[in-house]
Amino acid sequence: MQVTIENLTKKFGDVIGAENLSLDIKDGEFVAFLGPSGCGKTTTLLMLAGIYKPTSGTIRFGDTVVNRLSPRERNIGMVFQSYALYPHMTVYKNIGYPLKLKNMQKKEIDERVNAVANTMGIGDLLDRRPGQLSGGQQQRVALGRALVKEPDILLFDEPLSNLDARLRLTMRGEIKHLQHDLGITSIYVTHDQIEAMTMADRIAVMSGGHLQAFDTPEALYDRPKTLFVAGFVGNPPMNFINVEVSASNGHFVATNGNMSLDLSKERGEKPATAGNSVVMGIRPEDIQIAPDGTVPAEVFVVEPLGRENLVDVRIDGESILLLADTKADHKRGDSVKLKFNMNKAQFFDSKTGKSLLWA
Amino acid sequence: MTVTDNESQGIIHVPTLIIALKNGLLVVVIFSLLALILQGILKPLVASLQVVETVTTTLSLILILVLPYIAYIMSGSAVRELVKTSIPQALLTAVIATIVLFSIISVGHYLLNLGIFAPTSSIQMTVVDTDEGVLVESVVEGGAADIAEVKVGDVITAIRRDPVDRATLMARVAQSEVDSPLRLRMIRDGEEIQVTVRTVLATSSDASALFPGLIMALGVTLITIIWPGQFTPYVILLAILSPLFLGYLWLIIATFSTRTQGIIPLDGEGNIGGFTLSNWDFLFGKDIVGLNVSIWQVTLNSLIIAVSMMLIVLVVSSMAAYALSRMHFPGRKAFLSFTLVLHGFPAVTLLIPIFFVLANLGRTPVIGEIVGFNKPIGIALVMVAFQLPLGVWLMKGFFDGIPWDIERSAMIDGASRWRVYWEILLPQIRPGLLALGIFAFLGGWNAFLIPQTYSTGAGMVNLPVFLNQLISETAPVNWNQIAAVGLFQLVPVFILFIFAQEYLLNIYAGGTKGFS
Ligand SMILES: Nc1ncnc2c1ncn2[C@@H]1O[C@H](COP(=O)(O)OP(=O)(O)O)[C@@H](O)[C@H]1O
Ligand SMILES: [Mg+2]
Repeated sequence: MQVTIENLTKKFGDVIGAENLSLDIKDGEFVAFLGPSGCGKTTTLLMLAGIYKPTSGTIRFGDTVVNRLSPRERNIGMVFQSYALYPHMTVYKNIGYPLKLKNMQKKEIDERVNAVANTMGIGDLLDRRPGQLSGGQQQRVALGRALVKEPDILLFDEPLSNLDARLRLTMRGEIKHLQHDLGITSIYVTHDQIEAMTMADRIAVMSGGHLQAFDTPEALYDRPKTLFVAGFVGNPPMNFINVEVSASNGHFVATNGNMSLDLSKERGEKPATAGNSVVMGIRPEDIQIAPDGTVPAEVFVVEPLGRENLVDVRIDGESILLLADTKADHKRGDSVKLKFNMNKAQFFDSKTGKSLLWA
Repeated sequence: MTVTDNESQGIIHVPTLIIALKNGLLVVVIFSLLALILQGILKPLVASLQVVETVTTTLSLILILVLPYIAYIMSGSAVRELVKTSIPQALLTAVIATIVLFSIISVGHYLLNLGIFAPTSSIQMTVVDTDEGVLVESVVEGGAADIAEVKVGDVITAIRRDPVDRATLMARVAQSEVDSPLRLRMIRDGEEIQVTVRTVLATSSDASALFPGLIMALGVTLITIIWPGQFTPYVILLAILSPLFLGYLWLIIATFSTRTQGIIPLDGEGNIGGFTLSNWDFLFGKDIVGLNVSIWQVTLNSLIIAVSMMLIVLVVSSMAAYALSRMHFPGRKAFLSFTLVLHGFPAVTLLIPIFFVLANLGRTPVIGEIVGFNKPIGIALVMVAFQLPLGVWLMKGFFDGIPWDIERSAMIDGASRWRVYWEILLPQIRPGLLALGIFAFLGGWNAFLIPQTYSTGAGMVNLPVFLNQLISETAPVNWNQIAAVGLFQLVPVFILFIFAQEYLLNIYAGGTKGFS
């Protein structure tokens, strides 16, 4: 089912839940809503579910405007962060409840509940109550209940944030896999960018009730269109340095104090026109500590991440994060030389926050 | 645990002994000070206000009486830990601590003329019980008995005409005022003679009277040491609740006996006994004097009031509370605070206006037959109105406790608002419904003021009103029968509690937990 959102706005009195959102979600697509807490993700999702009535704007499922349809007329399945299982019902009844509400025959309910429960690996828990299940099992029940009525659209509201890290990893894979197999259009709300990046076909980045970007994970990562997106996507986050980009006979350089970095024509041409109000962004993995580096810096903090070290170095007192090999064994206070991979550098207009490279 | 320090090797654990003594003495000092303040400062102060009062005296007396035992308990509890390592060592330490404390306290009592050394009425002789009567063992030289010429070997049989044994003799002496004459009848050398003794205020110097005290002290310490700590709250509770238990005990005993003195059933001659079932005759259609109504009619009225009250309160409160908890509408806040005000409104002030409402309702065709004046449901309805504020608030609290997500989830699953309320929310607040239901039922079952005001005629009364009528009858009141009717009224209450308790526990096991 294709979902189209146009200028969708929701206000709670004076508080803005979401404002002027417009997105197109293709049939069978897996879209993540990514943004910090309180940015309006849940509000948007609940408008799609029909729980909240939009203040203005339209929502279309396929060609039908669903603004005025009640939740049960929308044929959606939803998984909540709190799982929202019915505590007084057994797992069987929880999963069967949507079917019971459709006045389905007992026999068919039985078949479907068992089928879903087996898919979710909770076939042996059907007689238990939610209170007797672990978090992960409750999560599977909630997922089973959302899937059992074969919905046109699946909505997830931070479904994994109450699970421990290991289980989260497993469930992430399972949900992705399930969605792919079933081909149900899915909207997945999360504040965890790794979840969004690994699971979604496209990510809608939200902030303060507004849509900041809507693109594939790769595009958001490699070609961020705004300073916000560049800073929000990626962990550890992108480094930002104020620079001046200048051109002299076909050579482009970005300078800040006595730091000077050569740029290729593709990267330097457009920023050069913006003069001195440019913010350069560069990801930690695109900076190396190397003997032949050009920028001197001092090691400030070394945080071992296991596979590599996160090193906080200072250039003239400015903090820069980079990833270094654990073997290199840098120490606090070491003087090092940095090498920047300038073909990955991003440039933004410091006033508007818009990318100077990607229109 | 390995104890290696020298002191703990001996038969007495010295550090523990010191702590025990310190604790005990601390209590002694604090209580003495308190008694001193009460007796020495507060009392003159109160007296100077020219108010007659006994509270400070009584309090200081209690302090003096209770003090030693608190001290022994405190010192005993210091030894409790030691029991785990070595029992003989603990016992010995405790005994020594107790004896030392007991000595200190006794010396204090002796010096201050307190406790057993307090001056009391006495005739200054010692006696023992024998088959013939009370044998005089010794008389204090120059004491009251000696002056009256009581001799060792005399056998006292009676005071005036009342036969005595040792205990009653001692009690009579202790209770008599100083210098009052006691005429003792006694046998000396086979002859019956009478001797009049005048009591004096004397301090007992009989050290043997200390022994029972010491035994008590050791007993208290020992109990403190071996006392299973988890019982303490129960014992305190039982002590506090005992008047209540005694009351119910009396109620039950009274219903099966002709008359009672205290909680002791007596027959016509005043002997213990007098078991009878006649108090329960009213159950079998036998009229209670002067009232020509069957108890079953009265019970039915009570039941109609209670059940209709319970149902209406439950339905209305839960639906109103749902709306108040989950929906936003103009005036919601105002309504809520208004309800709270209503809850504090005393029902009595509205009795007369409501009377007019009911009377008018009663004149309305159809409706008047059900809810008018002098109709059980009409009476129930008045009480429902008084219970609703509480019910609505209680239920609102329960609804507020259910996460929104559960309701949203049910709506997305395809449930209508009504079904969400009925199938998802109500089952989750079952404990609340049950509590409110019981509350309303009991409110209706035990209601007196409203039924008394709005029902007339024997056929319409409920149990509490009926009970009241039994007392106000002009014929002699049969309290044991009233107790029986009272107990009869209690039966459903007991049943309800037994049943509801189990139910509440059941629900709890099902649990609304499980959300992280
Ligand atoms: N029912 C509501 N009433 C009032 N304000 C709300 C309500 N729901 C959400 N909001 C506000 O809307 C904003 C977005 O909330 P939400 O969509 O829950 O954020 P997210 O899910 O992204 O963390 C927040 O500022 C929140 O306080
Ligand atoms: Mg949220």
